[in-house]
Amino acid sequence: MRSSSWTRRRRVGYAFIAPVFLFLCAVVLFPLGHAFYTSLLRVRGLSSTFVGFANYARVLTDDAFWHSLGVSLAFTTSCVLLHMAIGLGLALLLDGLRFARTALRIAFLTPWMVAPAVGATIWLWLLEPQFGVVNYLLVAWGAVKAPLAWLGEPALAFASVVAVDTWRGVPFVMLLMLAGLQTIPREQYEAAAIDGADAWQRFRYVTLPNLRYLLVVASTLDVINTIRHYDIIGVMTAGGPAGATEVLPVLLYNTAFRGNRFGEAAAIGVLLLAIVLAFSLLHIRAARLER
Amino acid sequence: MRNIRKLAAAVACLACVAAAAQQPIVLQWQTANLTESQYEPVWKATIAEFEAANPGIKVEPVLVARKDHWTKFVAAAQAKKAPCIVTVDLTTAAYNGYLMPLDKYWNAEPQEFRNAWSPAMLSASKWKGQLYGLPIWGGTYAEIYNRDLVTKAGLDPNKPPKTWAEYASWAKKLTGNDQWATAVLGGKTDTTTRVLLMWIWSNGGEAFNADMTEATFAKNPKSLEAIKFYLGLVKDGVAAPAPTTTNYLEQTNLFAQQKIATMRNAYWAIAKVNGDNPALKGKVFVAPGPANVPNAPTLTSVAASSISASCPNPEAAWKFIKFDAGKKWTVERAKVANWMPTRNDMADDPAFKADPLLAQFVTIGNNARSYPLPSPIWAEIAANDIVDAVQRALLSPEKTEEIFRDLDAKVTKKLKDV
Repeated sequence: MRSSSWTRRRRVGYAFIAPVFLFLCAVVLFPLGHAFYTSLLRVRGLSSTFVGFANYARVLTDDAFWHSLGVSLAFTTSCVLLHMAIGLGLALLLDGLRFARTALRIAFLTPWMVAPAVGATIWLWLLEPQFGVVNYLLVAWGAVKAPLAWLGEPALAFASVVAVDTWRGVPFVMLLMLAGLQTIPREQYEAAAIDGADAWQRFRYVTLPNLRYLLVVASTLDVINTIRHYDIIGVMTAGGPAGATEVLPVLLYNTAFRGNRFGEAAAIGVLLLAIVLAFSLLHIRAARLER
Repeated sequence: MRNIRKLAAAVACLACVAAAAQQPIVLQWQTANLTESQYEPVWKATIAEFEAANPGIKVEPVLVARKDHWTKFVAAAQAKKAPCIVTVDLTTAAYNGYLMPLDKYWNAEPQEFRNAWSPAMLSASKWKGQLYGLPIWGGTYAEIYNRDLVTKAGLDPNKPPKTWAEYASWAKKLTGNDQWATAVLGGKTDTTTRVLLMWIWSNGGEAFNADMTEATFAKNPKSLEAIKFYLGLVKDGVAAPAPTTTNYLEQTNLFAQQKIATMRNAYWAIAKVNGDNPALKGKVFVAPGPANVPNAPTLTSVAASSISASCPNPEAAWKFIKFDAGKKWTVERAKVANWMPTRNDMADDPAFKADPLLAQFVTIGNNARSYPLPSPIWAEIAANDIVDAVQRALLSPEKTEEIFRDLDAKVTKKLKDV
């Protein structure tokens, strides 16, 4: 009797989750399966031939892929470190404020509200070498003698896209950290103060340990988010100059839409997915351990 | 009662069929140029007049930025939902099966209509002997100069440089404080490749062998010499800085703001700079690009209207293409957007003869090679591989030969893989 009721309740439960499950299958599993299937084909426009894992072999023996992987890792590492450092700094600043907190919070969140492609286009014009505001100000203040080709030199272009991604990505970390800071019991700070701890010691021995879980969550989520990011680089440099900013998603796009090699592009996509999945597993594991 | 129900159902079905029959055919039209302000009045008028003459057909423009044009088309073509009328890299699109052969419609047209296009012009719209597009407009490239800046530098606008040596001498004189003679194009679009090809041809070089199975950028000494000279303009300080981000837009901005005195571009660039800076109207002159060999050809890009393979109404699409290719719109495009005619029956048109700049472009275009080059992977080679090599050479000029040798090997491999 009990068992049949339990089975019925289970069935009802399945019925409730079925629509969401079907929806996820349609928008996640089917595209993923299709992408994997495409990666096994040599696609020529509307016709295709099954080639097994030849696309993977081709991609993995291509210098462009390894170069892009290197650029992706450098880009992601730089961006995530900056997001975390600046995001935490801003969260501490906002947490300590007693006035204009809401206004500043909204102001700092603005870059996150702007669509990445729109933000990138704004920065593209701000950094324009001849007529851009950034060069105009730098020259006017005497910081540089001649306008800089922000997106025209490999090192500068890389630094520029990292800077713009930092501008975009900091609010997310700031928001998480701020939420975390507000959950730390005030008594811990008071106890530390009674023990004679200075500001740095309070941060080192009270704030950081309390934020450890959130720091792990934020950084792994940020890695996952940044490594698959296309918009900013796609708009600002399209991977140039000379491949200096060609991260994996940009290589994927260029292979598919400039090279018209959809099979290879799908293989790059699957490899990128594997990297993202590895970070996701790391995230789940780290989150479990921290809990 | 049952019969009444049946009758009602039949009437409802008939009403639906009649309503569907009355729905106009909607043709989507996508080119990279519909978002260009100088062309907007022309295409709007073309559509309005076509729809008035053909009440059963509606033309819906697909507005898309130039750099996203191909991506959007390919994504739609893969989904078999591509706009019916498109202007795209014809060979690449035909090779990939995205376009419909037009021979059936073309051959059904009267001889008088077909004679309006020369076989040479039509050949640029063919792939494997089949016609995939009707050439609608073109653009011959020439050297465009700012008359005021030339005169200010003490140079004679009536004697523009004919050789590289003369051009180099002019370039030095046209360069001043925060101002340069020209702009070298190295941005990530195929405009970079167009200009590079012209410099190569101007030295008697070739970028490819005759049947396009081998790249010869470095293999051909004349080509390599041209590449070094052209890209060297940056190192010499006579070309604007940041060439790796300079494309059509940046180049015409620099020219309109009088930061550069000369640019290699087509007639349409004059409409763009006049729009950006009306003070320049009537202050430009054109000349053939300087060359080291006699009769060096320039480049004419041909834009042809095609019908996508998935178009459900190809007859209506062909009707619009024919309408758009008509004399009236050919004149309008030339007058308003500065796009050159592809029809050979319009050279004596008074509207063209009245425009001395256009007449000059037409004369320069008498010795031109058509673009894009006929390879099914041209879009990738032109916008990716060649541009990448140009960017690398601009960043490391001392490695130019090595970079273009690598390019030869890479592109040759791709051409042989097709």
